[in-house]
Amino acid sequence: MADLLQYTITGITVGMVYSLIAMGFVLIWKSSGVANLALGQLVLLFSWFTYGMLAQTGLPVWLGLVVVVAFALLLGWIIERFVLRPLIAQPILSLIAVTLGMAYFIEGLCTFIWPWGVDVLPRLFPQDPIRIGTAVVSQEYLWAAGVSLLLFGALSLYFKYSRMGIAMRATADDQMAVQACGIPVTRIFSRSWMFACVMAAVGGILMSSIGGISYGLVETGMKSFSVVILGGLDSFLGAIIAGPIIGLAENLAGGYLTAYTWPGVKEIIPFIIIIIVMFIKPYGLFGESRIERI
Amino acid sequence: MHLPAGIRNYTYAQDMAIFRTKTQWVMFGGLIVLLAVVPLLMGNYWLSIFNIIGITIIAAMGLNLLTGYCGQLSIGHAGFIAVGAYTSAILTGQYGVPFIIGMLGGGLIAGLTGVLFGIPSLRVKGFYLAISTIAAQFIIMWVISQWGSVTGGYIGLNVSPAEIFGFQFTSQLSKYYLIMGICVIAVFVAKNLARTRQGRAFVAVRDNDLAAQVMGISLFRYKLLAFFVGCFFAGISGALLAHCYYGFLNPEFFSFKESILYVGMIIIGGLGTTVGPIFGVVFVRLLERLISLELVPFLESTVTALPSGWASGVTPMLFGLVIVLFLILEPRGVAHRWQMFKNSYRLWPFSY
Repeated sequence: MADLLQYTITGITVGMVYSLIAMGFVLIWKSSGVANLALGQLVLLFSWFTYGMLAQTGLPVWLGLVVVVAFALLLGWIIERFVLRPLIAQPILSLIAVTLGMAYFIEGLCTFIWPWGVDVLPRLFPQDPIRIGTAVVSQEYLWAAGVSLLLFGALSLYFKYSRMGIAMRATADDQMAVQACGIPVTRIFSRSWMFACVMAAVGGILMSSIGGISYGLVETGMKSFSVVILGGLDSFLGAIIAGPIIGLAENLAGGYLTAYTWPGVKEIIPFIIIIIVMFIKPYGLFGESRIERI
Repeated sequence: MHLPAGIRNYTYAQDMAIFRTKTQWVMFGGLIVLLAVVPLLMGNYWLSIFNIIGITIIAAMGLNLLTGYCGQLSIGHAGFIAVGAYTSAILTGQYGVPFIIGMLGGGLIAGLTGVLFGIPSLRVKGFYLAISTIAAQFIIMWVISQWGSVTGGYIGLNVSPAEIFGFQFTSQLSKYYLIMGICVIAVFVAKNLARTRQGRAFVAVRDNDLAAQVMGISLFRYKLLAFFVGCFFAGISGALLAHCYYGFLNPEFFSFKESILYVGMIIIGGLGTTVGPIFGVVFVRLLERLISLELVPFLESTVTALPSGWASGVTPMLFGLVIVLFLILEPRGVAHRWQMFKNSYRLWPFSY
């Protein structure tokens, strides 16, 4: 029973971080129709960058985090401006492939600057375990979930009340109409990339402060694809709900199925979920199914 | 497409022919002779480079049929190659099946795996399909690395050299002839498949699958056929990789990055052309050799101030950059430039 509670809490809290990363994906997909497959690599890069700021440069934590966020904003802007902008209105195949190329580049960049490949981030959260009922849970997970919730809240307020946020929602709805209203669509594209990078950065920091930095973070980012697929590509709500489901499935499977199957079943569950969703309900729980005309 | 002055087509068969002039036939014959003679003059170093290029061309041809002609993006090609490699290695190693049957078996199993993971393509496309092929890659590699009793898991699997009617392909030169023979057949099949009813159906599905369906092209049949053929090529290539190149199998040879590289190759070469993947593969594999065997050791020994191993990041960085630059600057790939060159050559010295 204690095990079950522990797996549940860990799963849901980790799942919230997945949701956070996945929301960055949904944001870009909705506003510009680009599928960002470099998500995992971005998570890796930002984790290493945080390591560089906090452990190597030795900045105080608050300043280091500010620099990381600034870097994420800058990188998002650069990616949109120099990689995606020239490819506007190209077929989806090119848009997917260009993010793959970017993924390749970023992973190489991480090897280039931090070739030792594995390290730990300085602890950001207190880590004394706390007891919930019979379960013993590391406090970090709860902090990670709290930060994610805070960001969800901030984002929904932004989308509801800020001018730019409303414009971004409008772009997701109908790009042509927004352009006709005189809203610069390219600025919205670049804004969505900047936000997505910040979410990837925060997600990366949360994941790596719990589990350390390694190439496994790329797979963590990839797991957010299963969140996106399960929740539906164009639904924020879907991403928020599907994240904990994936986290839960992963942790429960890791806890109870490992004995019956091969080790590492935990890592593969999200990908199996992708395939199952594809067969049963390809547009996810909350995704809008496309009706196409010739 | 420009024809040289004075060449006219009097029948449809002439119009459809790949080689239309005597010069083209002579050049084609010259190419075959060149492929047969050149290896005799080369050392083992270059032979092994030619071998990996030949093996990769087979797989890239398959991916090009699937992605370039049929428009179904697959980012799990390395996974399907691994299926072929392991199937063939296990069939020959543990069941004593002859190499040719093992290789065809590898292609068949890889093709069927491709069909299985291609089923979502009937309902979804674009990004959804890309994700499901990524999932395929991870699931396949997980099964291979965990199913240790059969595949050897992380420890790896020893593979016997290829053997046909008692002749063992152990020297680089004999391997070269085997690989190039199969490679030429694969290119021939791919080129001609693209010109048949099936190939035209693929192109119709790529350009607009709804319109294709309205015209009576069964999406179920042709999408899955494309997956089968594409992954069959991958499986054959995997079998050759196991028997003629590595002689040893390890899950690390078939990483996700390798899958991205295959997509990069056909993009650099030019999607939906037969000559494109060849250009792309030659370009990428030569660049890979150049960087990892020449540039990286040079950088490592020159710049010692940085932590060790830093230069191994140079290869992926350059490849990523090349893919991105090609997509931005020349999305139709090297094949398009080649076509432009041929056209201007035919018209020379006139401009049009």
